[in-house]
Amino acid sequence: MQDVKLRARDAGASAPAPRPSALRRIGLALTPLLWLGPSLVLIAVVVLWPVAEMVRTSLLKISSSGVTLGDRGGGNYTDLFDEDDLVPVVLRTVGWVAGVVITTMVLSLAIGQLLNARFPGRRLVRWAVIVPWAASVLMTSLIWKWMLDNYSGVVNRVLLDLHLIDKPENWLAHPRGAMLWMMWVAVFVSLPFASFVILAGLQTIPEDVYEAARVDGAGPFRTYFGITLPLLRPAILIASIINVINVFNSFPIIWAMTGGGPGHATDTTTTFMYKLAFYDQNVGESAAMAVVNFLMILVMVLLYLRASRWREEVR
Amino acid sequence: MKRHLIGALAAGLSVALGVSGCGKGSSSDDGGSDGKTIKFVAAIYSDNTKPFWDGLIKDFEAKNSGYKVQLEMVDWTQMDAKVKTYVQTKQVPDVLNYNAFSDFARDGLIYKASEVVSPAVLSDFTPTFTEQAKYNGEQYGLPFISSARLMFYNKALFGKAGIKDAPKTWDEVKADAEKVKRGGAIGYGLPLGPEEAQAEFYSWAMNNGGGWVNPAGKWAINQPANVDTLTFLRNLTKSGLTQPNPETTDRKTVFNQFAQGKIGLAIGGPFTKASFIDPVNKSLEFGVAPLPSKSGTEHNTLGVMDVLAAFKKNDGKNKEAVQKFLDFFYQKDNTAKFLTKEGFLPVTKSAGDVLSSDPYMKQFVDALPTSKFAPTGNPAWTSVAGAVKQSLGTSVAGSEPKKVLDKIQETAEKAG
Repeated sequence: MQDVKLRARDAGASAPAPRPSALRRIGLALTPLLWLGPSLVLIAVVVLWPVAEMVRTSLLKISSSGVTLGDRGGGNYTDLFDEDDLVPVVLRTVGWVAGVVITTMVLSLAIGQLLNARFPGRRLVRWAVIVPWAASVLMTSLIWKWMLDNYSGVVNRVLLDLHLIDKPENWLAHPRGAMLWMMWVAVFVSLPFASFVILAGLQTIPEDVYEAARVDGAGPFRTYFGITLPLLRPAILIASIINVINVFNSFPIIWAMTGGGPGHATDTTTTFMYKLAFYDQNVGESAAMAVVNFLMILVMVLLYLRASRWREEVR
Repeated sequence: MKRHLIGALAAGLSVALGVSGCGKGSSSDDGGSDGKTIKFVAAIYSDNTKPFWDGLIKDFEAKNSGYKVQLEMVDWTQMDAKVKTYVQTKQVPDVLNYNAFSDFARDGLIYKASEVVSPAVLSDFTPTFTEQAKYNGEQYGLPFISSARLMFYNKALFGKAGIKDAPKTWDEVKADAEKVKRGGAIGYGLPLGPEEAQAEFYSWAMNNGGGWVNPAGKWAINQPANVDTLTFLRNLTKSGLTQPNPETTDRKTVFNQFAQGKIGLAIGGPFTKASFIDPVNKSLEFGVAPLPSKSGTEHNTLGVMDVLAAFKKNDGKNKEAVQKFLDFFYQKDNTAKFLTKEGFLPVTKSAGDVLSSDPYMKQFVDALPTSKFAPTGNPAWTSVAGAVKQSLGTSVAGSEPKKVLDKIQETAEKAG
């Protein structure tokens, strides 16, 4: 705040009259720009410009070598909507996001609670929970891919030794099973962030609220659903929105573990987009898919915010 | 104070981003305007690739003072994305090492071969490869390395199953696979995963009179011979004679299993010994035989070729430096050194003589004259191959072979 006053005085010094002149008023009005400017530039360069570029590309005719051959209007979009695989891929993406986010949120509510409790070695456990977050997602996915390998995977070894199965199972070759395993990996890498947001949320709840509840004779169950959960709403909101966006756009897990195959049986919109560009050599159609993807995520986040009445949180 | 610092950081960051962002769109190239510095993008074939090029470029720069070559190594998994970005942002290298060239030729991006190598080099290319490097009757691609495919079989497993010779017909393949399977191993290793489904399928289809195009050069992917081939492979799978789930198995998995002595038969190339078998078991007893055919009379080999392509830049100012560099690489000793290091086959007559001294390599060199290639001269081939990689494998799992091939045919006709 001090800086603002200083700046305002400097601007005033250059004005001739003591009464606020037009120049000074403009100066005052523009002052916030100095502070907002950098972030506005940042948003324009890293967010708005790529979006504009993406939309522009989706309207172009681009040859397989990468040369722009001119305008194509909505042709890329009609091509995209003609793909037989589009609808299953979109439905799968929605299922993938819902499954991963819901599981992650439920588990992280429990983990957050655990991390908030006092017990010996809590610091160690907190660090351990961060590990999947610190490790590269690609690395985690590759490790799981090899753990689930048909020939040398440790999962098969353990199950064989326990006599739960009598011959190795090719886990990632069957679309449904592969999808479930990949969702598990996605939950695994999403948990740390979500748990820590929940933990932060738990720590903002004042102790006296709980005290009051105790005095009123509320049991642990009542306390949790009557106090903790409602007060955690902002934290849950933030964690799940960021989680939705991350999971929706998650490329490395699926790409490393199944490559979206066999066929398109485990593709989500993100891997499908990649295949359109680099297998089908159709950059324009891929950009159209990217625009559709972008709109889908926008709609999903808006619907979610509306459903959870975020305006109340902001006030 | 702290806020000040963050503000300054944000401003600095956004300026930096803005500057680098603007740089992306412009078509300026670094230092190439004098025409003596060229950029060469090379693919990584193995750990030997970079040291080879580093050495060769050093040698070249020493012998041609004033000329400079900037080397960029790109992994095959990233190559397609990189190349598209180069072209889109008008930052093409002067020389590119790639597996396709015809769409560059169609879009007028690259020189004709005769413009960038000396007549001596041009006439040293083996005619088979010159043919493959043509677009619309003109040679654009410069054959770089080649490879051929033959049938590998495990002699120990064959001995145990009481089989004497490698199979010559498809019926024998099936019978041998059954015998090997009875011994507890996998009969035939069938990789129809996205890595190289097109190569595996064509290796079978060409030996049944099938292929990608008809004699008139039009796409004929769903022709009866191909459906028949795919049905045969599907039957092998359904009878449990292959490894489980060929539709998700890549070539490297099959060859790791072969090297461990767990697979009786699999189709491999010259690189299979050095890259897969030797690291696992140098004493593995295996034989190499021609690819089996349905009738057993004629045995074709799958040929594969990678190319160098020289891009037009600065109104042709880079042509002289590019030619100097390419002529230098195509000297007999330099080419042969690369091929022996990487386990590939020659594309020039002079290097072929050097390589035939190795008996293992000789089998492949000898197979080259009967080899058939994918239609790489057709600019649509890359997208057809892409469609094959994505969906062909599903035909041995859930989908019907005919339907899968019909759909690929449709993609091919749409692509041109």
